[in-house]
Amino acid sequence: MKRVAAAWFLLVAALSLTACGGSSGKSSKASSAHPVKLTVWAGWSASTHELKVFKGVVAEYDRKHPEVKIKVVGDIVDTKILAAIRSGNVPDVVSSFTSSNVGKYCPTGAWIDLAPYLKKDKISLADFTKTPLYYTQYKGKRCALPLLADTFGLYYNKAMFKAAGITSPPKTMSQLTADAQKLTQKNPDGSLKVVGFDPASGFYDGAPNKVLRFASLFGGHYTDAKGHSILSKDPAWAKSMQWVKNLIDWYGHDKLVRFQAGLGDEFSASNAFEKGKLAMVEDGEWRVAFIDLEHPNLDYGTAPMPVDDSHPELYGSGHVNGTIIGIPKGVPHPAEAWALVKYLTTDTHALAKLSNGLRNVPTTKESLKSPELKPDPHFATFLRIIDNPKSNTAPITTVGSAYQDLIQTFALKYQAGHVSDLHAGLVNLDKQIDAQLKQAETGGAP
Amino acid sequence: MSSGLAAAPEVELPGLTLERRRAKRKAAWRRRRLVLLLMSPWIVGFSVFFGYPLVTSAYLSFTHYDLLSSPRWIGLSNYRYLLGTDQQIWPAVYNTLWMIVVAVPLQVAFAIGIALMVARARRGVGIFRTIFYLPALAPPVAATLGFVYILNPANGPVNILLKHLGIDGPLWFQSPGWAKPSLVLLGLWGVGNIMIIFLAAVLDVPEHLHESAQLDGAGPLRRFRAVTLPSISPVILFAVVIGVIQGLQYFTQAYVAANIASGQASQSADITSNLGYPEQSTLFYPVLLYQNGFRNFEMGYASSMAMLLLVVALAVTVVILVNSRRWVHYRGTAS
Amino acid sequence: MSSTSVPLTMPFVKRKPPASVRRRRFLIAVANHSLLIAVSIAFLAPFFFITLTALMTDNQALSAALWPHPFRWSNFLDVFHKAPIWRWTLNTMMYAGLATLGLLLSSIPVAYALSRLRWRGRDAVFLVVLIALMLPPQVSVVPLYVMWAKLHLVGTLWPLIVPNWLGDAFSIFLLRQFFLTIPEEYLDAARVDGCGELRILGTVVLRLAKPAIAAVALFSFLYTFNDFFLPLLYTGENPHNWVLSIGLSEFRSLHQVQWNLTMAATLLVMAPVIVLFFLAQRAFVEGVTLTGVKG
Repeated sequence: MKRVAAAWFLLVAALSLTACGGSSGKSSKASSAHPVKLTVWAGWSASTHELKVFKGVVAEYDRKHPEVKIKVVGDIVDTKILAAIRSGNVPDVVSSFTSSNVGKYCPTGAWIDLAPYLKKDKISLADFTKTPLYYTQYKGKRCALPLLADTFGLYYNKAMFKAAGITSPPKTMSQLTADAQKLTQKNPDGSLKVVGFDPASGFYDGAPNKVLRFASLFGGHYTDAKGHSILSKDPAWAKSMQWVKNLIDWYGHDKLVRFQAGLGDEFSASNAFEKGKLAMVEDGEWRVAFIDLEHPNLDYGTAPMPVDDSHPELYGSGHVNGTIIGIPKGVPHPAEAWALVKYLTTDTHALAKLSNGLRNVPTTKESLKSPELKPDPHFATFLRIIDNPKSNTAPITTVGSAYQDLIQTFALKYQAGHVSDLHAGLVNLDKQIDAQLKQAETGGAP
Repeated sequence: MSSGLAAAPEVELPGLTLERRRAKRKAAWRRRRLVLLLMSPWIVGFSVFFGYPLVTSAYLSFTHYDLLSSPRWIGLSNYRYLLGTDQQIWPAVYNTLWMIVVAVPLQVAFAIGIALMVARARRGVGIFRTIFYLPALAPPVAATLGFVYILNPANGPVNILLKHLGIDGPLWFQSPGWAKPSLVLLGLWGVGNIMIIFLAAVLDVPEHLHESAQLDGAGPLRRFRAVTLPSISPVILFAVVIGVIQGLQYFTQAYVAANIASGQASQSADITSNLGYPEQSTLFYPVLLYQNGFRNFEMGYASSMAMLLLVVALAVTVVILVNSRRWVHYRGTAS
Repeated sequence: MSSTSVPLTMPFVKRKPPASVRRRRFLIAVANHSLLIAVSIAFLAPFFFITLTALMTDNQALSAALWPHPFRWSNFLDVFHKAPIWRWTLNTMMYAGLATLGLLLSSIPVAYALSRLRWRGRDAVFLVVLIALMLPPQVSVVPLYVMWAKLHLVGTLWPLIVPNWLGDAFSIFLLRQFFLTIPEEYLDAARVDGCGELRILGTVVLRLAKPAIAAVALFSFLYTFNDFFLPLLYTGENPHNWVLSIGLSEFRSLHQVQWNLTMAATLLVMAPVIVLFFLAQRAFVEGVTLTGVKG
């Protein structure tokens, strides 16, 4: 009897002892002779060229700094970051594509405040470009720095344009609609063969989602002075959603869904635009690098996205977002981590190399002028878009990107034809977003 | 008759000496120790993995807790949001109830139907049993992946075959109206383990009952209702209970299907609106709970959702068990 | 007639009926069971399509083609190159194996105490076991996650394995039902011989309950092999410790797959279970029947 009990205790003890070794990313206690081990988490994926580019730049730093030894982990999404911070197994440096979540990271201290480090190293915020500065802080608390920015523009297939007799890329939404319809081809059985432009939410969609990006083109604003959501009051939202729906209805919603189901993945070599199944696409500036690698013979052009007919002054601007980088709470070697962050975000050579490889936009004024940048006519479009003063980004809130998900959920329903009254739906959406924000700030559910 | 020593106040039972009484108590004490030892793993397990979480869930449901700082007491705020303001709750509740009300009876009926057909095939029973059981063995993730591919509206084999027949196949997992039926189809494919139990029960029905019913002139339908059905009713109850329990926990297939069907690559797919794709039609209550608790890390709110689930699960279990006596016939002694 | 075991009634020598009669009988049988055969084909069809797709090239998988042209058997090897299948398998085996072992070790004594020993509160405890069985795991998952997070064990497999070493409601239920059917005479005989209760459990009961124990082991292995929700919760963010079910669900996004490889991976994940079934067929069927009929 006692033997059984004893065996039990031994077993449980053994399990708990062996369990303690299950952490990842913790750097060992360093003595001066041993390099500090740092782990960097990044969103770039190992399945594309992107992670390799990032690893290359980090490796350069690693070689120049024998006192640290750096490991890079890719394919990171924000759920991983949040889970890691909560379970205590944090990397030393972390970066994310979802800049909106800065509203979650900064106030809770999940990412540490970088202001003292910036002050100590005498780095001026004026070195960075304007919009990226906005989405790396929340209410004055700066817990992140921008690491290259993204913006969105129009990619169009020049060969198809020529065949359809279109001489220049569309500049207004009505031109875009007309061109899209002209470029669309159908199969003999009526199903879609080539789609001119697919504005549907949820298709090749990401963060920030398409609804937000199109809203920028209609001049949409998110909140009023008091911080209440005004999606129902600002006519730009209804206008942009209606434009999307009208185009979808022209294709036939079900036909479009069927067409989409047969396409390749967005980040694979079977990307529908690269394969010629989409004549035009709104995509991020990174697509230039993908096309270079996967379909270098594709005859395509880039241009700013068309804008609302009644707001021609917006042409040339776009929605801006980017990668953010910071240091999570509780890292054992913040000084070394900061040194790496500083290098990646301010070193002109590093930024230029990353920009060339990833075709993302550099985020310091100096790096934008760096002679190391390899000029590319396709990519130059995006540099101009980011420079445009009317380019904007989505607001940062304490719920992070959760309110953007609410917007997308509504848009998906609307474009499928399941919302009978658009205005009432938008009013309800405003209510939802306000409730969500209120709960997050006073405590309670999202 | 007590012997000798002044004993503790004990009832004087004729024939029991003090020695025997002491021995009896010692035996009882030894037995209690044995029971304690044998039950010890369960006692520890139950307290740690069942009792403690239930109590803590209840407590957390009154707090705002994101695991980064300590729980903050907010009273009924979570419940007010849960039952009043959150617009995602009602689709989640509806979907879960739909799954239970539609899928469970369909699966039970389908399993019985197949069991009856297999029972008739006298020589091929083994083969057929294997054929129908195999899909139930497939890991749910694998089966779901397979079905999402097969039911791809553009190039999936099913729609291609339908096109050859001249039918425009539905959008399956891409359509909010067809997503749940697609999941039901997936569930029907996996009905094998219940079917085997029904098969055993159907084969178990005593032949003489069938014969006497036949002699009375009953056709096959009547025989089924009067003879087979009552005999297999305990198994029907079992299947329904299992089905309802599984329905209340339904997670894996919905999660995997929504993620795959929405087709987002992991690079930019931090979007929680994937879950429930399309248009929240596959947003089941456990999925929403997971999203709130482990994507948004709103642990207080997720706990309040858990409490609601607990109440519903208990209520449903009680209702089923209480009503079971009414229409379940046990042959001979209850099992 | 010799005096050996030849029965008095000579067995009727069956002569095979002529081929045409056999064929007619076969066709009649098919017609009789046409619905059954149709449904069987429908049940096998998904396996068929998955296999076909697993043998296609990537472009073919995306197209409307139904038959691979050529047959790319190398897809199965490619799967191993694209994803750490071996590590996932190792993790899965560790989880399933350790969990099943612990579950048996802890549930058998409990089931025995609940069935063959008489003590006060026994039926109440059994009722509690039943209730625990019926409640969804989502009810208790939040505080347990918090607990494991505070112990820094989130991201490992221990939160999955450890609870199984402290009893599992379903196994306890099954085993108890089975133990109830053991005739008291066997146990009394052993008691009379002077065996202590534990000895009885270890020798008599275990031997008699071998089919039930085998069934429970089989089912719990199967259940943990197929488990998705708990591994997702605890190891979802740590790819090093992914089990097969998680890995497979993430396979598509890992390398911008490629339905053909995904279907190949799907088959590979289904394979061990199906092989296990064919090896242990009787145990499976008996076990399932046990659950249903005794349940």
